[in-house]
Amino acid sequence: MNKNDSHHENTTDKRDKLSILLIDDDQTRASELIAALENSRYQVNHLVSSGASLLKQVDDLKPDMVVIDIESPDRDILDSLHTLSNFNPKPIVMFSEQEDADIITRSVKSGVSAYVCGNADPKRVRAILDAALARFEDYQSVKQELVNTKQELEATKIIDTAKRLLMKSRNMSENEAFHALRKMAMDTGQKIEQVAKTLISVLNTIK
Amino acid sequence: MSVEVKLGFVPLTDSAPLIVAQELGYFRQFELDVKLCPQNSWSTLRDKLQTGLLDAAQLLAPIPLASSLGLGGMQVQMTVPMVLSQNGNAISLSRALCDEILLDNKLSELPFPMPSNLLTKIVQRRAKKGEKKLRFATVFPYSCHQYQLLDWLKVENMHNVIDVITIPPSEMSGSLESGLIDGFCVGGPWSAKSVREGTGVTVLTSYHIWQDKAEKVLGTTDAFYQKEPELMAKLCAALLLACEWLQYLPNRFEAAKLMSQSGYLNEPIEVIAPSLLGSCLIQQNQSPQHVPHYNRFYESNFIVVNSPTLELQQWLLQKMLDSHQISSKDAQQVVVTQIMQKIVNTACFDEAVALLAKQRHKY
Repeated sequence: MNKNDSHHENTTDKRDKLSILLIDDDQTRASELIAALENSRYQVNHLVSSGASLLKQVDDLKPDMVVIDIESPDRDILDSLHTLSNFNPKPIVMFSEQEDADIITRSVKSGVSAYVCGNADPKRVRAILDAALARFEDYQSVKQELVNTKQELEATKIIDTAKRLLMKSRNMSENEAFHALRKMAMDTGQKIEQVAKTLISVLNTIK
Repeated sequence: MSVEVKLGFVPLTDSAPLIVAQELGYFRQFELDVKLCPQNSWSTLRDKLQTGLLDAAQLLAPIPLASSLGLGGMQVQMTVPMVLSQNGNAISLSRALCDEILLDNKLSELPFPMPSNLLTKIVQRRAKKGEKKLRFATVFPYSCHQYQLLDWLKVENMHNVIDVITIPPSEMSGSLESGLIDGFCVGGPWSAKSVREGTGVTVLTSYHIWQDKAEKVLGTTDAFYQKEPELMAKLCAALLLACEWLQYLPNRFEAAKLMSQSGYLNEPIEVIAPSLLGSCLIQQNQSPQHVPHYNRFYESNFIVVNSPTLELQQWLLQKMLDSHQISSKDAQQVVVTQIMQKIVNTACFDEAVALLAKQRHKY
């Protein structure tokens, strides 16, 4: 609890306002949401379902978060953006009927999206957006960890190959090969993995 | 006592089997109280089906596989008891692009079906001058529309030099006119509508790219099927009846009338009827082209068009691979084959056919 609070204070201090792109054809609900988020760290840009111009809006505004009515025909556009490499993933919050929202929220595990009800009670809206953002960031960091782990594994493999090549071609022991690699890395100011890569390609060309 | 079923769909010309089954009382014949639930987007239809807010749905053929593999959303195993339709999409181009093609290739009119190599000069010129790439649109990344468009362009190796974006079908005509896109691949009635409005020129149908491949399927989650196998067999049986009814051309006009009257499509009969009657509108003030298989719901027996097959799932997986939606490493996993086998629900299909045989015997 405390940890979460301090986390949020920090982010508010460090960053400017978070921009939200709101896509909702229901003017009343949109106005309520904008009012609810006045004097918060969120800055709302409202857009009615517009199909094609959503792409331009996302491009121009580069929002930190998107809030959309689950019944909007624009949802497919938004979903498709995640398949594009130049679109950085963003947390997406969706409005839905109270009952539906509960069912969907219980089932959604991916952490990419959060679902909320149509009720724009100020306290609740802020809490939901905060939670969605926190959950999204957690999800992203887990994903990043996975990428890092994969890269580490890959690096270990490359270093092993380079070691074996050295042991074979220079008649070194495993320990000697590793030290040779480390020395090269220190001398050239490169990562040991980088040195191993270069070495593999060089030794393979000579052969 | 009848059982309530929430059946989701995105209203399109090839939703005909669902609307026919409802309006002609086929669902009631099987003691089902079906509530047709129109949806505005494929993502929301999928999410509601995955979470049980809908019991079953008419889906784009690739969605069950994408969902079962966890592509583009949650990973939920789906199952497909039957194919609802084949073909039904078309590629249309903006009038400006058509004029450019005619000029470049010194043609007085566009051939139908148009080969994609007629775009080559434009693509090369734009690349050379550093101009904006051609931009096409489809309705959903995991759709036959997407794969058909890419396959059409791929013949000339142009799939990497043309941008493909997603926009809702109702936005296509306007986006052609505003110049946001240069062409699109959609299902009916949206190509016909664009031709009627004078914004687009239809240059070929999906039948000219893939002959007689599944376009829409009946799908549900594996969890729902395990709970309600009998209900699903009845649902499948009623829809098979509707598909069979739709094989006759005289019935097709009646279907178009039902669809425009039922209010699900909110479009007039002059844009719904043509494709159902095997007519492809190509350009304002020009004679339509005859494409007998434009919308295909049934042929000879229930097997030809409607039976669920593993070949279809393998074909779709290949298309996902070609479109880089899944890596070859992931696609080769043993579990993928198991997932595909689970999608192909021949047990439910066979049960539905048996129900129909029993019912016919009775009368």
